[in-house]
Amino acid sequence: MTTPTSAKLGLEYRDTNGFGAAQGGRGYHLPVDIAVRSDGRIYVLSRSALNSFRGCNIGITDLEHNWFDKIGEHGKAPGMMDWPTAIVFDANDRLFLADESLQRITIFDAGHNYVGHWGTHGSGDGEFDGPAGMDFDQDGNLLVVDEKNHRVQRYTPDGEFISSFGSEGSGDGQFNYPWGITVAPDGRIYVADWRNDRIQRFTHEGEFIDAYGTSGREEGQLDRPSDVAVDSTGNIFVTDWGNQRLQVFDSDWNFQTSERGAGEMSPWALEYIDANADEKAARDVFDPYPELDVDDPHEVSARTEPYFWDPAAVALHGDDLVLVLETSRHRFQVYEKT
Amino acid sequence: MTTTTKSGTDLDLIAHLLRRAGFNPTWDELQEHAALGYDGAVDRLFNPGPADPMPSDVIRRYHPDQTITQIAPSSGSVWMYRMSTTKTPFEEKIALFWHRIFATGQTKLIQGKVMLTQIEMFRKYGLGSFRDLLIQLSQDPAMILWLDNQDNHKDNINENYGREILELFAMGVGNYTEEDIKECSRAFTGWTIANMPYMSIRMRNNTLRPYGYVAWQYKFDPEDHDDGEKTFLGETGNFNGEDVIDIICKNPATPAFIARHIYHHFVADELPVPQWPFEGPKDPAAIQLMVDAYFANDYSIGAMLRAMFESDIFKSEEKRHARIKSPAELIVGTLRMAGGFDWPTQEIFKATAACGYMGQSLLAPVSVEGWMGGDDWISTGSMVQRINFASDTVGDHNKKGIRQIVDRVAERHPEGNVDPEELLDDLLELAGAIHVESDTLAGIVTYASQQGGIDPRTEDGAAKIASILQLIVSTREYQLV
Repeated sequence: MTTPTSAKLGLEYRDTNGFGAAQGGRGYHLPVDIAVRSDGRIYVLSRSALNSFRGCNIGITDLEHNWFDKIGEHGKAPGMMDWPTAIVFDANDRLFLADESLQRITIFDAGHNYVGHWGTHGSGDGEFDGPAGMDFDQDGNLLVVDEKNHRVQRYTPDGEFISSFGSEGSGDGQFNYPWGITVAPDGRIYVADWRNDRIQRFTHEGEFIDAYGTSGREEGQLDRPSDVAVDSTGNIFVTDWGNQRLQVFDSDWNFQTSERGAGEMSPWALEYIDANADEKAARDVFDPYPELDVDDPHEVSARTEPYFWDPAAVALHGDDLVLVLETSRHRFQVYEKT
Repeated sequence: MTTTTKSGTDLDLIAHLLRRAGFNPTWDELQEHAALGYDGAVDRLFNPGPADPMPSDVIRRYHPDQTITQIAPSSGSVWMYRMSTTKTPFEEKIALFWHRIFATGQTKLIQGKVMLTQIEMFRKYGLGSFRDLLIQLSQDPAMILWLDNQDNHKDNINENYGREILELFAMGVGNYTEEDIKECSRAFTGWTIANMPYMSIRMRNNTLRPYGYVAWQYKFDPEDHDDGEKTFLGETGNFNGEDVIDIICKNPATPAFIARHIYHHFVADELPVPQWPFEGPKDPAAIQLMVDAYFANDYSIGAMLRAMFESDIFKSEEKRHARIKSPAELIVGTLRMAGGFDWPTQEIFKATAACGYMGQSLLAPVSVEGWMGGDDWISTGSMVQRINFASDTVGDHNKKGIRQIVDRVAERHPEGNVDPEELLDDLLELAGAIHVESDTLAGIVTYASQQGGIDPRTEDGAAKIASILQLIVSTREYQLV
């Protein structure tokens, strides 16, 4: 069923949460994934820089900008992370963490205690080469995007291999370095087929349903989509990473709206600015939207602070709020469906 | 027709060209250019195909730090990926050339993004008109903040950029007066960046807070530009920056200065730049050749280089192996020999860091004078770094490039065990037509002879061949280009 034009979904900017925290402390550093716990708390996974790891952890906040804690730190020992890629909660609020360098899935209990990890590097059944995205299916089993093997694998929460689907390529059901994944409320599986510039949709069993996306910058086109989320009515939210925007489609892939970003100073950012008089004075005459002499979306975002810069993940908070995580701005923006 | 046979043929000359205009050539690169003949190989340098390096989106997904490039090792690694995977290494050599002369440092800017934008500008304009290049340089945000031109105001000049464009970038000491510096600086007033006060303070405060870096953009502020009359290098007028650059470019001192840099970078080690005002060039004929090409071709840098590459001066035996490899040349050449990188890896940081340990932190030169080069590259510490890095890089016979060398040895010797002398002959050629002295060769042959039989068809043989390659890249001769 096609959604009538008059009923198009809109998004309204509501808030910005974040602060660059390369040295640790409150905030995020190069965050790559975001997950919402059953109580509404928001977990942000920061990958940090390769040789500056103090920002590598999972930070915890909420919609009111409260700051709770951090989980984990950089390292290779059990419970630590090296090149983390994704986080997801199971039905019991256990937190699962994927790491594409350590080739493992780490589990923390609801109290954030390290429980264990599993995973084997390789290309055989159950082995993976770069776990990149995760979500739980309706049976409580874990779907893991196996990026360099170009497939999705399904495991029990304890890491017992169940099945997989996908192979390398650009045909139906094939992948080219897939990234994010989500299981919709109706059980269908959506995968951000990153280098094929499309989103693919599968049944609960992993049977191909359809694919949407052509390469480009025009409305409805995609450039390296990183993640996808789906609400209760089937609206599809795609972080169009290469185009530095969020695009929204209805369940029949009819274009709804697109957001380029409208980030503002978060309370944490304002505290910092208020405590630095010289920066505050200069900030008062700062033009966040300067006239630009470039049109490459990545470069435009690099020069325009309110815009999304490398939106790596999208998550729903409840069914009405959309959280867009921006790796290179160390923050997430909150939008409300209208 | 150029031959592709073993040492002593034109292959050595083409290898010389490719080492200077690129990095240590792979066997495939040697073959491809040898098939064109020397003149054809030169032509290919100036008319290359697509660079086809590791895609930027791939780098950014796996190294998000290299998007914001807050720190020099991150942005340096972006360049290291490019240099070690590009199909047009001459382009990177040109970028390295200008990076060394127009030395701009992330250490002050705390903003690697704009540094990489500057390097991209060198790729785009580095072989074109020197006038265009100087205009781009003068409007480059990294250069503007590096040399404080944002503080060069109509009523209160800052002469930092005005001085360095004359002293270090275009003409050299002795070819202008202190008054010329002031007038030059006046011409560049108002050449600044958007949102200058905030960007300048954040650079000074060295912070990514609150939301990471905002990349800079050039902006001309007419209200802050001094459009009054100026007298510069003997000419008088209401000069702006472009007018001043015109006057610089037509001055004979300019191509002579740039030609000496080209000679130093591409032909043979010259004296350190600070000595140039007191000692003439080693090869005045080479300099004149390039000066003539500059004026005959609208200030074209590419024409200067082509004239040099096509000259007997460049081709002569004495110019081969006459320079000490810069750390970047050594590292990138060795990485390319080992096959480069197919996909992002944490290994990249080892290469970038090693470059710094050897004395050449990419995008973070020691000062505005850049790196001196020549003997300055060699010290006890840097030699250990150079040998360790090169040896480690080629020691794994499972790396793509090393495996290709082993396989080619196997093709040449289908019978199996290879005579040590023949093996060395093959390896030196396959690794890039590398030249070593007879005593060095004898030492490595002795080592190879002690390994027992070396059958390149076996894993054991492949490992032994890799160990011999480790010795080759550890030689004194491998330090030269």
